[in-house]
Amino acid sequence: MNCSDCKELIGALMDNELEQTQAAAVREHLAFCAECAVVCEDLTSILDACKTGSDEIVPPNSKALWLRINNMIESEVKPAPSLPEPPAPRSWGISILRFSAAVLVIAVISSTVTYFALRNYIQPPTDDFTSRSAATQTTFEKVLSKIGLVETPQQARERRLKEREAAIEYWNARVMTRRSQWDRVTREAFDRNLQVIEESVKDYTTILNQDPEDELSGEMLDAVMNDKMNLLRDFADL
Amino acid sequence: MPLRREYVFSRQTAVKTTMLLSVVFFFALFSGEASAQKRFSKNYPAGQNVRLRLMNRTGTVTVIGWNKAQINISAELEAPAANIVPQNLSGLIDINLLRDNQDREIGSVNFTIRVPYNAMVDIETRIGNLSVTNISSALVRAHISSEGAITLTNIEATNVAAENTIGDIFFDGEIKEGGTYRFSSSKGSINLRIPFNASFRMMATAPSTRNISLGPFVNPDTNYLGDGRRVLGKVNGGSATITVTNQRGTIAFLGR
Repeated sequence: MNCSDCKELIGALMDNELEQTQAAAVREHLAFCAECAVVCEDLTSILDACKTGSDEIVPPNSKALWLRINNMIESEVKPAPSLPEPPAPRSWGISILRFSAAVLVIAVISSTVTYFALRNYIQPPTDDFTSRSAATQTTFEKVLSKIGLVETPQQARERRLKEREAAIEYWNARVMTRRSQWDRVTREAFDRNLQVIEESVKDYTTILNQDPEDELSGEMLDAVMNDKMNLLRDFADL
Repeated sequence: MPLRREYVFSRQTAVKTTMLLSVVFFFALFSGEASAQKRFSKNYPAGQNVRLRLMNRTGTVTVIGWNKAQINISAELEAPAANIVPQNLSGLIDINLLRDNQDREIGSVNFTIRVPYNAMVDIETRIGNLSVTNISSALVRAHISSEGAITLTNIEATNVAAENTIGDIFFDGEIKEGGTYRFSSSKGSINLRIPFNASFRMMATAPSTRNISLGPFVNPDTNYLGDGRRVLGKVNGGSATITVTNQRGTIAFLGR
């Protein structure tokens, strides 16, 4: 029998609830184990006190006991002010998983920023999405287009054309108000040049209707619409 | 008979006199019209980094570089004569006929302007020819809103731009290292005469005619794209950038 078994059985021994063999084994252990013997003696004395004492247990000097308890409670509620301890080195407590996730996020963000910065740097402004086709889109751009984060080349072209048409409409209205004040030479020159530009617009529009992916015609249509707007704007001043 | 001869003689004299008077009257009439054409002339001292900016409405503009630290502006004004009020703004000579003649009908103005070789030149007109000669500076820009020919000869500029709608464009000059050269027309021919050893990247586009002649600059690094509508490529390493667009005309590179 070991100490743990013995301590469990001491209580039952005191109450005479053990079998003979178990009680003999416990007593044998208590005979040579001082620690278990002390436990047994303590328990015996407690049981004796319970048997011999009155029903109400009154602690000796109960007033002093209450004061001690009260002091202990107050000391826990209002801890004594202590000097500030020097700051310990901060522990970030970042796990490897968190660290890896942070590195991954930073890498993705910096790669995205670098990609767009380089793309804008390498490609001249005129060679933007407007003048590009789906064939020249990178996989990344296609993915962004699919999820709606970036316009497709056709959408970009249509948007630019609408913007140009709005500007052309504005300048055309101004030209119409000024036109009556022009001399014959100016009127004829304006009409000739506008007609040349209109022919180009018509040609590229026809080509794009047949082949919307023709990036060169898309680019040229954008250019001639710009020329048209500039012609109208320049002559609106006259 | 003598009397008859005298009569004939006086008759002939009268006819001659009448004819002479008619001629005199004819010239007098034309000289009257000639007197309606005014002239303008003004000189400005030019320091370093001088810049000429001209905005004309109708007429020919000729800019010539010369070996003087002076800008000479002369103009012939057709009736009704335009107001010309050049402004000298700390190194910038600014002539703007649109600004100076708002809501006024004006006749053509033909300018001849002499500037130092190293002057930056930025000229623009609504209708008319533009010509720039002997300029070696950072900028030569010639813009015609509608029709007119642009002729740039003996140019050594790092930034050159020539744009019109209808009319030929001719450039004869150097291609500077790292320079930018842009030529654009809707209808006409664009001819560029540049040194054989010029180093540049090019993008030449002639979508309608597909007539792009590279002349002596054909090499394995130049490629025809889009069924011959565009040529992209490098010549002698590709230091400068040349962009040529002719919507309905031809493009030709010539060696000098």
